Amino acid sequence: MAAIEARGLIKTFGSLRAVDGVSFQVERGETYGLLGPNGAGKTSIMRMLAGLSPISGGELFLSGLNVAEQPRAVRTRLGVVTQADGLDGELSVRQNLEVFGFLIGLSRREARARADEVLGFFRLRERGNAEVDELSGGMRRRLAIARALMGKPEVVVLDEPSTGLDPESRIRVWEELAELKRADVTLLMSTHYMDEAETLCDRIAIMHSGRILDEDTPPELIRRHAGSAALDLRPSGSSRADIRDALTNAGLRFREVGAVIRVTGGNGAPPVLPPLEGVQVSERAANLEDVFLALAGRGLQEEQP
Amino acid sequence: MSTATPVLAAETGLIRFRSVHAIWWRHLLALSRVWQVAMTWFVIEPVVVLLAVALGIGRLVGEMDAYGSYALFVAPGIVIGTAMFHAIFECSWSTFERIGQSYYETALTAPVTIPEIILAELAFAITRALISTVAVAGFAIAFGWIPLAALPGLLLVSVGVGLVFGGIGLLFAALAPSMHALSLVFTLVATPLYFFSGTFFPISVLPDWLQPVAWAAPLTPLVELARGVATGQLGVVHLYCGLYVMALAALLYPLAVVLMRRRLMK
Ligand SMILES: Nc1ncnc2c1ncn2[C@@H]1O[C@H](COP(=O)(O)OP(=O)(O)OP(=O)(O)O)[C@@H](O)[C@H]1O
Ligand SMILES: [Mg+2]
Repeated sequence: MAAIEARGLIKTFGSLRAVDGVSFQVERGETYGLLGPNGAGKTSIMRMLAGLSPISGGELFLSGLNVAEQPRAVRTRLGVVTQADGLDGELSVRQNLEVFGFLIGLSRREARARADEVLGFFRLRERGNAEVDELSGGMRRRLAIARALMGKPEVVVLDEPSTGLDPESRIRVWEELAELKRADVTLLMSTHYMDEAETLCDRIAIMHSGRILDEDTPPELIRRHAGSAALDLRPSGSSRADIRDALTNAGLRFREVGAVIRVTGGNGAPPVLPPLEGVQVSERAANLEDVFLALAGRGLQEEQP
Repeated sequence: MSTATPVLAAETGLIRFRSVHAIWWRHLLALSRVWQVAMTWFVIEPVVVLLAVALGIGRLVGEMDAYGSYALFVAPGIVIGTAMFHAIFECSWSTFERIGQSYYETALTAPVTIPEIILAELAFAITRALISTVAVAGFAIAFGWIPLAALPGLLLVSVGVGLVFGGIGLLFAALAPSMHALSLVFTLVATPLYFFSGTFFPISVLPDWLQPVAWAAPLTPLVELARGVATGQLGVVHLYCGLYVMALAALLYPLAVVLMRRRLMK
């Protein structure tokens, strides 16, 4: 039985279809990433799973339990880290954990013991008596994840677990999430960081406007949508317009990112450039960002003024 | 260690007592962490009012036919009016802040439902009303304005205060678009009620057209009950008051559930 299964899932806000018929399965122990531009519908999916938002259509299951029919049973098996940490500023760090533990059904004694465990796991033990306001952004995030683990959930949902953190704190969060994965916890996460998705996720769904554009393992997505290698062109002499025309005529997919024009291949093959003058060309391994730009790019450009 | 207890009752729509208990405990813990400040709300403020009104204004008023001194008349009203402020403040201001800080969102990721959240908020509004009544009535008892024997009755009335004004506070918290709008709960509800519910003067001295309005106001039956308990003069009117309070509470609870669900579940 899949840990999470969505079938034709829909979320509407008035006339807006925030999630527009999405289907996917996450297997037990798997880490599944939702990637997509702002407003793609990632948070909406996670909130429906967490029971924070009514499902407008389709079906959603957690370990075979229908989320719409058994929300409470679902939430005893689920840990949730929302986009806003939702930490309790009126309580200490440790009290945040203990009170939540009591809320999910642990006895006071169990909650205290479990708070010790998760504080240790997240290397926050010395900060147990601190106020939440005194924590750094990274510590707050880790405390929010720690709280989600109080009930030893089978599945953890993480909405942008490392947004706003410095590189050091991000890697810390990654290590801790990898540890969970080793313990066979199923993770559903959203992220805007390609390196994060590539490092943590077994499979990724790329979303845009409430739909999943494609879904697979990171290497397979890269092979399919960005080829084996990508080329970065840096115009030095010739005009950008000429390069643009030449690339378009050659039927290549490209995107201008700052000073660089990124050219991607597709279906395994690297791009083959037409003859160009006055351009610095550097080849590099294709990555998820190329996939993202290739898939979501069209939609993104439409949104730009 | 056991994981979270699976609660099957949940799916059938029953109330999970642990949810209510845990949220109530959280509020008590948060309040106890700022007890020094809380003391000023519970003790200093109401006692200042009590002394000023009973001793200051009371000396101008002189004797009141049915009650003896003005202090004996006004003390139960101030006890109940203060409890009202606590209940309404807790469930409007504090609840609104907790909505903004995603407190309920976090609570709802646990096996918790909206009715349980509402019950926990009401339970804490009752708790604050009770603490307030113990403090204020304690002073009035010390001054001889309320007999000690009336305390249990006043506590019972304060439970009604918590339910009714906690409920009203929750409606405002659920509907207010901003803190600014929320302050209307004080200008439109709490302050007028504090003065026009038979607290400081008998409703019978109001002009004829205003009297029915004052009688329908939700604080009036509670003040009337408290005064009946304090003076030992209970009559059939108090039965109606009790029924009115229960009817209000029964109406406010489902309304608060519906509005809060609309606010929190999007
Ligand atoms: N409460 C709401 N009321 C109305 N519209 C909403 C609400 N919540 C989300 N939306 C809309 O639904 C769409 C999807 O939003 P969602 O938060 O799921 O996107 P996301 O992929 O998580 O974006 P981000 O990367 O910015 O977090 C957006 O267009 C958003 O404006
Ligand atoms: Mg989001």
